[in-house]
This record gives sequence, C-alpha cells and structure tokens, in this order.
Amino acid sequence: MSQEMRLNGGLVDRSQTISFSWNGKTMQGYQGDTLASALLANGVKLVGRSFKYHRPRGIFSAGSEEPNALVHLRKGAYQEPNTRATVAELFEGLEATSQNHKGTLEFDILAMNDLVSPFLSAGFYYKTFMWPRAFWEKVYEPFIRSAAGLGKLSGEADPDVYDKGFLHCDVLVIGSGPAGLSAALAAGRSGAQVLLCDEDNVFGGRLNAETFEVGGVSGAEWARNAVAELEAMDNVRIMNRTTVYGAFDHGIYGALERKTDHLRSANGKPRNIAWKIYSGRAILCAGATERSIAFGNNDRPGVMLAGSVRAYANRWGVATGKSIAVFTNNDDGWHTASDLVAAGANVAAVIDSREIEPLMNIAGASITMGAGVCDTAGRKALKGITLTNGQTLDVDCLAVAGGWSPNVHLTCHQRGRPAWREDIAAFVPGGDLPPGMSVAGSANGTYGTGACLAEGRAAANAAVKELGFTASRKGADKAEDEAANITAYWHVKESTKRAWVDLQNDVTSKDVKQAEQEGFRSVEHLKRYTTMGMATDQGKTANVLGLAIMAEARGKSIPETGTTIFRPPYSPVPMGALAGRAKGKSFQPYRLTPSDKWARENGASFVESGPWLRAEWYVKGDEKGWRDSVDREVIETRKSVGICDVTTLGKIDIQGKDAANLLNMAYANGFAKLAVGKTRYGIMLREDGICMDDGTTARLGENHFVMTTTTVNAVAIYRHLDFIRQCLYPDWDVHIMSVTDSWAQYAVAGPNSRNLLRKVVDAEFDISNEAFRFMGCADITVCGGIPARLFRISFSGELAYEIAVPSRYGDSMIRVLHEAGEEFDVVPYGLEALSVMRIEKGHAVASELTGQTTAQNLGMGRMISKKKDCIGNTLSERAYMNRDEIWNLVGLQPVDKSMKLDGGSHFINKGDEPTMDTDLGWMTSVAYSPTLGHHIGLGFVKAGSSRMGDVIRAWDGIRKKDVEVEIVSAHFFDPEGERLRG
Amino acid sequence: MGNFTLESKAVLDGFDRDWNGTRLRELTEMAAVAVSVPKDGATALNKKLKTAYGSNAPAAGESFVGKGDARVMSFAVDQFMILFEHTAHSGVPAIEKKLGNTGYYVEQTNNWVFLELSGPLARAALERVCPVNTQADKFPVDRAERTNMEHMGAVLCRTGEDTFLIMSASSTAGSFLHALETSVEYVS
Repeated sequence: MSQEMRLNGGLVDRSQTISFSWNGKTMQGYQGDTLASALLANGVKLVGRSFKYHRPRGIFSAGSEEPNALVHLRKGAYQEPNTRATVAELFEGLEATSQNHKGTLEFDILAMNDLVSPFLSAGFYYKTFMWPRAFWEKVYEPFIRSAAGLGKLSGEADPDVYDKGFLHCDVLVIGSGPAGLSAALAAGRSGAQVLLCDEDNVFGGRLNAETFEVGGVSGAEWARNAVAELEAMDNVRIMNRTTVYGAFDHGIYGALERKTDHLRSANGKPRNIAWKIYSGRAILCAGATERSIAFGNNDRPGVMLAGSVRAYANRWGVATGKSIAVFTNNDDGWHTASDLVAAGANVAAVIDSREIEPLMNIAGASITMGAGVCDTAGRKALKGITLTNGQTLDVDCLAVAGGWSPNVHLTCHQRGRPAWREDIAAFVPGGDLPPGMSVAGSANGTYGTGACLAEGRAAANAAVKELGFTASRKGADKAEDEAANITAYWHVKESTKRAWVDLQNDVTSKDVKQAEQEGFRSVEHLKRYTTMGMATDQGKTANVLGLAIMAEARGKSIPETGTTIFRPPYSPVPMGALAGRAKGKSFQPYRLTPSDKWARENGASFVESGPWLRAEWYVKGDEKGWRDSVDREVIETRKSVGICDVTTLGKIDIQGKDAANLLNMAYANGFAKLAVGKTRYGIMLREDGICMDDGTTARLGENHFVMTTTTVNAVAIYRHLDFIRQCLYPDWDVHIMSVTDSWAQYAVAGPNSRNLLRKVVDAEFDISNEAFRFMGCADITVCGGIPARLFRISFSGELAYEIAVPSRYGDSMIRVLHEAGEEFDVVPYGLEALSVMRIEKGHAVASELTGQTTAQNLGMGRMISKKKDCIGNTLSERAYMNRDEIWNLVGLQPVDKSMKLDGGSHFINKGDEPTMDTDLGWMTSVAYSPTLGHHIGLGFVKAGSSRMGDVIRAWDGIRKKDVEVEIVSAHFFDPEGERLRG
Repeated sequence: MGNFTLESKAVLDGFDRDWNGTRLRELTEMAAVAVSVPKDGATALNKKLKTAYGSNAPAAGESFVGKGDARVMSFAVDQFMILFEHTAHSGVPAIEKKLGNTGYYVEQTNNWVFLELSGPLARAALERVCPVNTQADKFPVDRAERTNMEHMGAVLCRTGEDTFLIMSASSTAGSFLHALETSVEYVS
C-alpha cells in the first residue's frame, strides 16, 4: 500500500515522509499525520476489535472522542495500551499494533462471542456465573479476567520519566478553536496574563478541519496568524498537546502536557507533565463533539462521524473511502458532502432524515430525503448500506451526522448539571458553572464560526474587566455563520438488526431498552447497568444518543429523563503522569543528621523515623544479627560510654518576657520557677486531659528557654505552642523558633561520659558533678571556642549528657567524640539500644503516649500542678480518669525467664478466658535486656500499681502465645537513680 | 581538655553546577539570624534597624538589601531574618552589636541550606517544583515567599532579574538539592 487514499490539499507536510509500522507491516505517512490519518491514507479500515463481542471496528472519529481505534504504541517496556490512534501523532519508526483479540486482528477467536450475543446483553454478568459455586475462582474469574479489558500492559516497569508543575495566569483559555483564539487574543490585548491550552498539536481546533474563511483568509491561516500574534505577546503563553482535564476548587485546573509522545525517544526528559494551573478566570472553549445515529450494524469499519470524514479530507488530505455516502439529520452533513466533493472524493449519496428540500446539489451523488440507513453490509470493512426505502448502495464509507454535543465536561466538575436546548438538540452548560468559569463557542452551543469569534471575545473582555484590566476595543474578526439546523433523529426505528449506541462498550439500543424494561431507568442506573459512557471515551459520542433512546422508551422528554454529569479527567491521563517524578530518589524527602556520613562509614543500619533516617544499630565485626549489635551496644555503654545521635529530637527556641508563662501553660507541671541553668522534664496534655507529648526544657536565660520534643511530635508541638501564643494569649511577649536543624546533638552516656566530655569541653567550663549537677544546662564552647550547649540529662539511666554543636560541626563532632573516647572503648549506639535502655529504666515513649493515655496512666498524675492553670488540667480531673482501677504503667517480666515477650499482648488473669470483659490491659514495649539477661516489658495493667508481684498472663491471639508474667516496677534498672546522679 | 579541633562542613559540600548559563550553587558563607520583635518594641527595633541597615523592618513577604549587602527578609508580622556574609561560628553577636537588645535573636545559620538558582532556565525549573508565581511582574525583585517544594518547606526570594535565593531545612538539603537539580535537568 502506498497511501492510495490520499487527496490533494490538507495541512500535512508532504515533503517529509514518515515510515511507521502497523501490526508489523511498514507503511508511510506524512509529517502532520496522526496514526489514524496515516492508516486511512494507506487504506486500512480494520483497526481493532470491540470490547465485548469482538466485532471488527474501524476508525470512527478524528479526535480524543475516539471509541474504536484504541491501539498499542511502541514496544517492550515502553508499550502503552489503549492509545487513541486519532490523537497519536505519527513519527519516524512508530510501531503500532492492534489490541483486544486472540489470534490475529483479522481472525480473532473471541469473535465467537458475537455468535452468542443474545446471552451477553446488558447486565448479563449480574445474572450469570452464579453456579456452581466451585467455578467462581477456578473457572469464571480466570476466564473473565482473560477476556476482559482492552489493551495489555507490558508487565515491565515504566522506563519513562514524568513530571508535574505549577502554572499561573489571570485568564485560562481552554481550547484554541475560533472561540478560544478569539478569547485569547482579546484577553492578551488587555495585558492580562493569559494561558491558552489545546489538546491538539496544532492550534485552531475545527478551523484546521474546515474550509470556512475568517477575516478573508482560510480558517487555518487565520488560526496561524492568531497564534503568531499571541506568541508575540509577553503576557501570553500558549501550550499545545496540553489537555485541561479537570476543573477543581479555587480556579485550579489540572492539565496534562504530552511533551515527548510525538517523538521517537524522550531522551531522558519527562514524557508527560501534569500541570496544576492557578487561574483568575477560565474560559472554556472546548468545542463540540459530533454524535452518531443508531441503526442496524452501524459499527462496521467504514461507518464514521461525518465531521471527522470532512476533517480527514480537509486537514490530512485523506479520503476515508472510495465511495462515500453521507447520512444526516442536520445541515452540517451537507457540508461534509460538499467539502468531500471539493477535495476530490467520490460522494455516492446523501441521505437526510428530514423531509425538507435538499440543501444543495452534490455532484455525482444521489440525494434521498426523509429516509434513513437501516442496515449495512460487510464484515471487516463496509461494503454497502440499505436505506429505509429499501434501496441498497455499494459504498465503503458512511459518514453519519447525528448532530453535535457541546463539550460541557469541565462545567460539570463541581456538580454543575447541563441543560437541554431543544433548538440544537443538545445539552449545554447549565447555570452553575465552577466559580470563575465562563463558556464560549460551540462548548456553549454556539455553532456558527462568526458567532464563536464574537462570543470568545466577549467572554474574554468580561473576564479581564472583572480582574481589573481594561478590555481591548478591537473587535473580533468576521466570519459567516454556517447553517446548523437539526431535527432530532436518534435511531432508525425501521432497523431490525442490532444498532450500536456506545461503540466502546458494545452497548446497543436494545440494551438501553432492556435496562428500561428491567427497571434501571434513572440515567445513573442506565450507565452502570449497561456500562454506557464508561472507559476511555467516557461516552463522548454515545451519551446523548443513549439518553434519547431511554427517554423515548420511557415516554418522556430528554430533560425529564435527565443526564449524567462528568467528573475528571476529560480524557485519559496516564498513571505515570499523576505520579509525576515521585519515584525512586524523588519519592519522598529524607532528613539526615549531620552524622549520617559517619554512621554509614561505621556500619549503621537505618530506620525511618518520620522523614528522618536514624541509625538503629551499628554492625561490628562478625555480628550475625541485630540482637548481637544491640546487646553489645547496651552492655558497652553501661560498662563505659556510648554515643547516640539524638539530633532528630525537636528543638524549639522560646524567648520573651512571657516565655515562662507559655511553658507553664503548655506543660502540666510548673516551669516558672525553673532556675537559669537547669533543665526540667515535663508532660503536655491536650485540652481533653490526655497526654500529648513529653520532653525536657532548659532555661538558658531569664527569658530564654529551649524545649526538646519527641522526634515525631516536633511539628505538632511547635504548632501547639504557636496556637497558645497567637490565639490564646496574643498579648504575651513570647516568640518561638524551630532550631531542630540548627544543632547536631549527641547523647554521651555511661560511667565514663564525663571523662570523655572533659576532653572536648573547653577548660573554662567545669563539668564536674559538683559544678554541673544532674539536669544542669549551659551554653559552653568546645574544641577551642566552638559554641555548644551541654545538658546533663539521661534517657538511658546512666550518667549522661547531651551535647549540641552547630550542625555544620556535627560531622566533625561525632568523629572527635569517638576519637576522644577511644581510651574508654567508646561505642556508638543506635535507636534500638536506646530503646532497650529506656525500657530498662522505665521511660515512656510513643508506645506509651498513644494519644489515649493520661498522666495518671503513666504514673505521673501528681505532676499536674494544682497551683497553676495549664492546657488540659481541668479535664484531667474527670472522675473516670482518676478511678482506682485505671490502667497503670508497670513493668512485666516472664515467670520463666527463658520466655520471650511480645508487644501488643493482652493481659488476663490466670484462669480467665481471653475476652473483652477479662482484658486487663496490654503490653506496650518489650526488649531483651542484656543487663538483666532476660526479656522485660512495659505495659498498662488495670490497677497495676496495686498488684506488684502478681502473676498474670500475656496472651497474644495473633501469635498464639500465652506467657505468664510477673507485675513489677517499671524501673528495672537502677531504680534509685544513683548512676545518673553520680 | 584534649587537643581536638572541629571542622565546619557545608551541608552540600559547596555544590555548584552550571547548565549552559543556568547555575545552581550552595551559598556557603551565609549567616542567618532570626529577629523577633518584642511586644511594644517595634519602634526601638526599627530605629536601630534603620541606622544599621537603612530601612525599617520589611512587611511580610518583602525583603531589602541594606548596608553591608545584608538582606533583611520578613515572613511574619513580628519576625524577620537578616542574611549576611559571615564565616564566624555564630551570626548572633554581629546582629547584637548592631541592634543591641531591641530584639530577640535566634541563630538560624545552621538551620537552613542556602541555594542560589540563576540564569535563563531558573523560572522554568522553579515551575516544576514550586507553586509560587514567579512571573516577573507578580514576583518582583526582593519579593520573598514561604512556600514548599516537593513536600519540603522553603523560602523563595527573587534577588535579581533571573536570580533566586532558595532556602530550605538543612536536614533535607540532600533531597532538596535533588529536587532542584532534577528540575533544571528536566527543563534544560
């Protein structure tokens, strides 16, 4: 084949021949072709198989509404299914294959479905596959999964990259047909920031597919001139290959830009970009979509939309058949016939359902008025048609003009409901548009070119005036308004054969009537029962037809029957584009501490703690498992000294004359009298009296504090403090500032911690036990004058300090500390060893501060000061929270010391059945204690404080474990605190 | 005390890369001090500020370059930040020297990574990660916005025709650099 169907003319560049392959066969097209136009130019009629019946299907339209010509593009991991041939731009080396068939496209085994079509009507799957039950998973599901769907995924990871971005404009113009270009010109001339988007690669919309003149030149030329003027404006940005697919809140629109789909290779650049557009006003100029007429066997390859047949001739220089008939219910069908003749195509007949005088003579064509097409002939390509008057015609293409439906989709995205206009037999945008949106041109039901130009300009001028710009006084260019009279004619009643309404979902007029008969009469039920309007085309060519047939079946009008509304996206958006760049290293940000590099060099294993990566343990030598590392770290720290990176803890700088008042209000315990140079542990309550967070706060000066929060609650606590400061006490003189990232902070714990620190702390600072007591804090310098902060606090129960240096010195500091600690056999310890030591010491963390537990549960009820007000103190006094039988945090140890404990186990008394009624509480934290030589745990036990020494059961229904445990003090290690004060 | 010294290390090791005139680099000799305005202390603070830098505290979202090329930038009604070239351990003493005790000062130098993106592709690259409208007339020179990029909090300030100062938390500097570098890569 060598482009046997090419006509003269069109907008393709015939100097650039492009080779591509279709099902392995090499063909040629021209620059500017779509895959569909190139296939038609090469005489290809059969391009796919239908969804359910696997009937042969051909190209039906020339745009994104295409229901039939869904194909695979590219090969291997790059293969993309369900791509519409009508919008796929041709490029050198494009490999396209057909989909949805078993066997070849020509001989599809599943075409046998068509033979049993009476059993596969609407909703058949709701009525079948019921029995035998044993067939559900082994027979029915595999068969249905195998047969269902359209194209196939490659099964490989998508090698393309995608991106997203943000655009801003005063006026967004959606669509670049006559209304859109006119709107963009008017808005651009006002000086407003204008963004013009069009899904096509060429601006101009229908102007490129028509022969109308605008301003004395062809529509296509006028469009090129308009685009040139827009490109010359600094305040206008135009984006082709960009589909605005959704209208969201606050003037935000979603758009998909296809950056490299028209290229053979993306060369590592993003293939698609999902844009978020922030607009002041939006003008929808999305045009209209032609619809078909339902008649017998109207789905054969060669039956096409008339406007598309005209577009293939005018824009792409392609005749869609050697002998073409036009079947119309409106004036626009006649334009197709006359344009085809003018382009050199052979028009065999015009059949108009209206009983009116012919609109014009069509050279060489028979004219039949007041008739319809009731059947077609041919299998893999149309061979002939039969008219309602019995006449048969040998044609290989039937152009069907059933009227145009405005593309109202985006007007519905915020629940707007279209309104029916009888004069054009179509739904137009209703009154409740998304805020800031106006509609112009065919999308508004205005079909004449001249009227579209004027309406686009008027909409733009109104929009820019609302935004405070001065509208340009320049008028819209002039053009004639084409005749567009229509007499509604939805289906040919004389047809006895199946008549397709929704080609993509194989929904026939009989299916619609059956839905009505079975009670699925609401349009929403109709859609879901028949699947009409679903899948990639979202019923763009089918919905109105189906509604009309339903209305007729119900004996009601179309407005009375109603319509479904649309939701985003307007046309398919690849999942990859929605994901954008969020994969691999770009999936999420990580927070790293300044010691990260050192930790990696020293065998650290990391765990995610929110966005932080924290060292959980350090593998040394031939250690085989994490327990080996953690046990060693605990033992060595308690024996001499260990260092743990605690940079991740939240740090909030608090200054001002009312800083102490803020802390007094935020913490349940008092802070007003905390001495300068001292640190205090505190708990915070929510308003409802439940524990919110705990931590320490150091007083560095009379009006200067630094608060430490848990890692995960850093942001929440900052917000909480800001709420108190800004909303509850706006008159206070207090300011807060996050300094979490400012400081690299290391816990130095163990009997030799002071000895180690003496080697790095500058000599003028006395850190002896007498001079720098437990819970002391100070601004100091280290290593010869580097500013630092030292806190004598302990989470491990050992003599311990936390030393902070500006984070730029953090990497150096961890190295220096370890160098200084060599003589003490210093070890780094990770989060896990930290956790073991805090369990040994009975300290609570998030496992205990769950958002459901109180200070009373934690044994800290007396910390809630009665001498001052604070957030949560009133509701913490509720009687229920202060009963004798509340849960108490206690320690647990197995009676059989060889037994392992499991977090999440529930406690029950010996002899009780594990039920909700016998539940005593739950195990919150467990660890193997290398210090004690057995497992230990913390947990909440009902009235646990008064049951010390009792033996209960830790029952775990999931792990099927049941361990006897003894209730003991939560302070397993050094309960008197002698080590940390030493 | 032992004979140990600490070395300062830029969070991104002084990253500097050029894509045909579009340049992304880490500003390593920048100090930042947050200044909070004490209650009823705005007049005194502004007086000192005007003497030291030539202007009152900017409105939220604004910045100015004062004496000594210090940039004074504000994001809140009672808070602003002073950025200046500085290599000492702490910037606070330098600010205290100029403003005395008229404000509350917090060292912020180490809290942030400071990046400069400049050149013809700067805006296009920002479009891919930043929701701020950087069109020249909507985001004039010296305009400063708090924003976020790729889930990371950030400050964006236009410092020249095609030049932007971008600040983000130092702990996520690696991820932040990756986001910006990817953006420039994609648009170049």
